[in-house]
Amino acid sequence: MGLQIRGIEKIYPDFRLELDFQVRQGELLILLGPSGCGKTTTLRLIAGFIDSDSGTLAMDGHRIDTLAAHRRRIGIVFQDYALFPHLNVRDNIGFGLRMQRWSPGDSRRRIEELLHLVSLEGYAKRKVTRLSGGEQQRIALARALAPQPRLLLLDEPLSALDAKLRKGLRIEIRRIQRELGVTTLYVTHDQEEALVLGDRIAVMREGHIEQIDTPERVYNRPANLFVGTFLGQANLLPGRLVRRLGSSDGQMAAVETPVGTLRVRWPDEPVEAAMPDMPAPGQPAHSHHALPAVGREVTVFFRPEHCSVDPQESGKTCSSNRISGRVVRKEYLGSHQLVEVEAQGEHLTLDLAQQKPLSGDGTVTFSVDPSNICLFPGR
Amino acid sequence: MLFVLLLAPAAFLLLFFYFPLGSVLVGGLTDRSGRFSLGIITSLLGDPYYLRIIGFTVWQAILSTLLSVLMGLPGAYLLARYDFRGKRLIQALTTVPFVLPSIIVVLGFVRFFGNNGILNRFLMSLLGLSEPPLRILYSLRAILLAHAFYNFPVVVRIVSSLWRRIHPSTEEAARSLGAHGLRLFWRVTLPQILPALLSAAALVFIFCLLSFAIVLVLGGGPRYTTLEVEVYRLAKVSLDLKTGSALALVGAVISLLFLYAYIKLQQRSSFAERMTEEVERPRLGSMLGSLRGVVYLLYLLFMALVILAPMITVVAYSFQLRSGWGQQAISLEWYRRILSGGPYLRAVANSLFFACMTMLLSLPLGTVLAYVGARSRFAGGRVVEAVMMLPIGISSIILGLGYLKAYQQLPWRIVGSWYAIVFAHTVIAYPFVIRVASATFRKIKSSLTEAASSLGAGPWRLFWYLELPLARSALITGAAFAFGISVGEINASLMLYNERLITIPVMVYRLIGSYNFIGACAMGSVLMLFCFLAFLIIDRAGGEVG
Repeated sequence: MGLQIRGIEKIYPDFRLELDFQVRQGELLILLGPSGCGKTTTLRLIAGFIDSDSGTLAMDGHRIDTLAAHRRRIGIVFQDYALFPHLNVRDNIGFGLRMQRWSPGDSRRRIEELLHLVSLEGYAKRKVTRLSGGEQQRIALARALAPQPRLLLLDEPLSALDAKLRKGLRIEIRRIQRELGVTTLYVTHDQEEALVLGDRIAVMREGHIEQIDTPERVYNRPANLFVGTFLGQANLLPGRLVRRLGSSDGQMAAVETPVGTLRVRWPDEPVEAAMPDMPAPGQPAHSHHALPAVGREVTVFFRPEHCSVDPQESGKTCSSNRISGRVVRKEYLGSHQLVEVEAQGEHLTLDLAQQKPLSGDGTVTFSVDPSNICLFPGR
Repeated sequence: MLFVLLLAPAAFLLLFFYFPLGSVLVGGLTDRSGRFSLGIITSLLGDPYYLRIIGFTVWQAILSTLLSVLMGLPGAYLLARYDFRGKRLIQALTTVPFVLPSIIVVLGFVRFFGNNGILNRFLMSLLGLSEPPLRILYSLRAILLAHAFYNFPVVVRIVSSLWRRIHPSTEEAARSLGAHGLRLFWRVTLPQILPALLSAAALVFIFCLLSFAIVLVLGGGPRYTTLEVEVYRLAKVSLDLKTGSALALVGAVISLLFLYAYIKLQQRSSFAERMTEEVERPRLGSMLGSLRGVVYLLYLLFMALVILAPMITVVAYSFQLRSGWGQQAISLEWYRRILSGGPYLRAVANSLFFACMTMLLSLPLGTVLAYVGARSRFAGGRVVEAVMMLPIGISSIILGLGYLKAYQQLPWRIVGSWYAIVFAHTVIAYPFVIRVASATFRKIKSSLTEAASSLGAGPWRLFWYLELPLARSALITGAAFAFGISVGEINASLMLYNERLITIPVMVYRLIGSYNFIGACAMGSVLMLFCFLAFLIIDRAGGEVG
């Protein structure tokens, strides 16, 4: 069920899009990636505005790639809203109903329902050109949802709005999507939006999906260096795996790095069922579940906020990795502070709660929990 | 879907444009026995009489264009750089040449500059002369003045619309670097407005090249004859369709060459569209203390007067009782005569009928072609567009000639029927519908059509529920244009009319010919009323012109 995208290929002279994933029934899947990675092309392929060169699209078990765009029953919210300027709010929302020949009575009821859903009751007769950006976006959402689409596509729907409005509206989009349970694919390049909104996030790069997983796992257990560094901030260290150790809750490994030997806890869970129905070969998504062999060169990865400076605790647990260095820069950000530390020629960033004072001598010792460290093959 | 749409317009154009045009082509390129021959054309081009006509045609067009540019440039500057009360009105007035029939300009000109016209009578009573001091009519001077007065608003309109969008910061930068006055204009301003200036000049040039009524009446003789007038004379007076066809071909080649240049220039001018920022403009009202402000104001007044003068003259004169001077009484005599029936009322009824039919035909024709042109992505789209736009470059005299030639052998008598005139008017009018409509169709954002399509609208319903309503005001403008063009059209009408099919402009022309100026002015006023209605609609609907 949901939307299955199988073996879709679209080849341009300087770009190649290859897609194989699914949007599960009722979930909100985020398509996240830098500009030019093919997110919007993916959306337009699914909507039917572009034809693919090969592969199939199926919704609820039926192929839709053979259908023209206007027969696919997919609702779309565009970046520029694309409200019809010659129609008022009511007729914009009612456009799809009219195309599906709903009776006037049913139409009216449905339009009222949707205006209520997007909290714009009483707007029915307004001109769409007189609405604010946020209101236009809600109407665009209502219009896309009115004819009960099987799938909802949103193409960077909040990018034209200012930051404050964006935060409010994304909560609202989340609420509406949950309430209706409509299968949704949401394109954005805003990581915060992706993390807040997504049931799952698909990270795209150069025409293919690098990882598709829950926000927590994409953030904490990135499939590769690209995903790890694209989403959030990261500390990277070159290293070499020197030992494997057994552990009660998974495998442990010791990695030699310029700042000392670090212990890494490797989660023992089975290869996570990111796509249980799709053990597609050649997908890089799960490579991080296999611990590299002893002796291999690796890149050590951990997040700035996983570094803790706690004088009481430091040294107590033998499993925590302690790193000492010199503070070279501090960036005060209100609720927290970023501290740049130089240790053995390596620059590392610490994201600390700002209440925690640093010692006065300009050096700092911090620790990173072994389970918060990821290893990627190669340097 | 696009190809299906194309069928009807293509058939219409084939039958009522390309077939008559082809018969002119055949007529000009065959000898008397019907074999292919360049004989007639080469003998035309060797004949000093025709060579002089060709030369004069181009020469008067060049001079008229220069004069129009000189008159229009200051106006373009003022409209682009200053704000003043009545600016909206002046801007609206620059639309006038597009809707004012040339026969009105002719009439107004004769009444204003004629030996017995307002100017001469005023000078005679002022200076106590017994002879009119200014003899302007029936000369190159008259043709040039009339062309310039008629066409300089075109220059104002096109150039100011670009000039307005050029940010003054480039000029300010140049000034801070030491440029000023003429050098500033020559080095900085002119290069920026040049695309619009060239494109306006080319358009005016084509208008003047193909100008017919003005040359026919105000030239008034073989010395001041252009190709158009000579083709008309050959066809209607000498009844020599063969020589007429050959000469028409020569004319068509010349005008198409310049049309091609015009289109090329238009494409070049598009670079300025990025500069859309609105800037604060100084108000002219606050400059009236300075000499410069006064000069500017005088120019604007002059401009309004020149545009309005022929119209005012015609209307004012239509209320006089009798031609001649001395006895001036206001009278509605001529309007009574028009309304009482007879040929005058028939001309009015005919004109209205033709105009409505032309509107009904050219609107769907132009809309469909514009739509196909805007939406088609195949490589042949441009060719199709060119084929559809060709009628712009073919003068209506040639079209009329084609109708006379093409349909004379057919059993189905087209010439002499009302639809010949309506079809000819449609061919003349629909490119204007295309112009306004295709600009609008192209402006429709793809996200709008995609949104509609995702909501379940197939191609037909997409057109019907989205694209057509969005193009509504452009289509109203196009319809008003078609109406205005048909109602004021004289060239093809003069070629194709008979007593039963007489139109207002033809009637005006004949009344001028018989020196019945009050009657001509009364009919002219009725004509202007219709044109004014069309103008109002165009102005309100706000479609782009020119």
